[in-house]
Amino acid sequence: MPLVVVCYKWVLDEADIRINADLSIDLSKAKGKISDYDKNAIEAAVQAAAALNGKVAGLTFGTADAKPSLKDALSRGMDEAWYINEPQASQADGAGTARVLAAAIKKMADVSLIICAEGASDTYARQTGPRIGALLDLPVVTSVGKLEISGNTLIATRVLDDCLQKVKVELPAVVAVLPEITSAPIPGLKAVLAAGKKPVTELKAQDLGVDLTPKSRVTEIKGYMMDRKNIIFNEGETAERVNNLVAALRKEGVV
Amino acid sequence: MAGIYIFSDRADIAAEIVGFARAAGKEAFVMALGEEAAQALTNAGADKIYAIDGDSELIESYAKDIAEFLIKAGAELFAVGATPRGRDLAARVAGYLDCAMASDVVSVEYHDNQLTCVRMLYGGAVQEKQVLSGLSVVTIPAGKFEPAQGESTIEALKLKADTRVSIVETAPIVKEGVDLSKAEKVVCVGMALDKEEDLQIARDLAAVLGAELGCTRSIAEERHWLPVESYIGISGAVIKPRLYISMGVSGQIQHVYGIRDANLIVAIDINEKAPIFKAADYGIVGDLYEVVPLLTEALKK
Repeated sequence: MPLVVVCYKWVLDEADIRINADLSIDLSKAKGKISDYDKNAIEAAVQAAAALNGKVAGLTFGTADAKPSLKDALSRGMDEAWYINEPQASQADGAGTARVLAAAIKKMADVSLIICAEGASDTYARQTGPRIGALLDLPVVTSVGKLEISGNTLIATRVLDDCLQKVKVELPAVVAVLPEITSAPIPGLKAVLAAGKKPVTELKAQDLGVDLTPKSRVTEIKGYMMDRKNIIFNEGETAERVNNLVAALRKEGVV
Repeated sequence: MAGIYIFSDRADIAAEIVGFARAAGKEAFVMALGEEAAQALTNAGADKIYAIDGDSELIESYAKDIAEFLIKAGAELFAVGATPRGRDLAARVAGYLDCAMASDVVSVEYHDNQLTCVRMLYGGAVQEKQVLSGLSVVTIPAGKFEPAQGESTIEALKLKADTRVSIVETAPIVKEGVDLSKAEKVVCVGMALDKEEDLQIARDLAAVLGAELGCTRSIAEERHWLPVESYIGISGAVIKPRLYISMGVSGQIQHVYGIRDANLIVAIDINEKAPIFKAADYGIVGDLYEVVPLLTEALKK
């Protein structure tokens, strides 16, 4: 039975990140979530598997913190999950991440399609799909806004800067999808309950024989603060606030 | 030959990356797909232009052979314009080389001959600086460097393409909305707007200002009140108007990423704790249904 593999990432919710006055970052309040665009990718994988009469395997690479992702991911319609639970995941770069994912995919049988979101909501590097394709020497199609599958042929519509480009490829292939590919429905209670019974394969990077030494070295991480005036009119009658704003905009020369 | 190898499907970005290489005191070799694309680059100041000649119209399909060519040439960096085609090609080349890559850099420079890149994480809340060693790949957005100038010669480069992906057809993108990235002034609506017909309030303000109408991702993708081209944010339009006025926009990080280069940011929202006020030059805390019509009237005077 053909297998559709969908890669997803457990990330910190950027809305919970606090930037301190010295521009250091406070992640202590940040909760995890499946990267927003990955939810659309998972749904796209479920639909592709239906078209292929196949199954869906979710694949994630993360630290022990990523464990809660499994239930959420499995409730979104996948049949099984592969979890590469690795302490070094937090330090891994794009090269290492792709090596781990590619090595895990090699262990799966009958893989006919690999789907990734275009980018993750933390790094938004947009490397993983193409890198996996290169490592497995599979054809790659990125920036995909629409997927059609007929038999073993995949037709994808790519959303490029200057045109919509429809391309054709025989499976197996790697596809990176845009969030507009499909909506990501919130799983129902029944799906959530069923998720706990689905099989999970848990491995370490070592089990896959992958060296995770990063090729790039992070030398600094700091918060970004826009340098803005922050003049907020929050007192007095509404008309007065509006007049104050108009006066300020006239002074700035923008109206 | 050592140096920086460059590709972009946009000639202007290719010339800018040559400018980066020149400023870093490096040799610059530009690659283009086909003779015509190469001709468009003859005044971009490169040391040489390679016109790729092969069996595919898709530059991405040459990734494996480009990776091998870069090794043979002794390249030190493959610098690619950050467009959809460029990002795809760059990441695939990085995959075949199994090398370091920095995507969509905010800045890139050689510091003590080490390649140092800054990029944004978490939708722009965090900046990360990284040092890449060995033959590496970067993607560089438009507008980061002054374009280089000067004539260069073209050399044909036969490369093998992976022909497993082929083009069926191409169609122009039908833009329903305007190109917000070029707008002088933008009025942006967010989820605090209750009904689609209330967009008229925003349109009235935009008309008085001579502004274009934009929105947040949810307004376009969930409520479908405005075309997708109208939404501003990390995965949508990234704008740099002289004036941006938001109404009922909470100011999530992904949205703020899209307006960070605006000259002046003005926010109107009822929630005084909304993050948009931290990103704003001026703001009014208040009900947009009260504030915006008053603002429109005041601006008419």
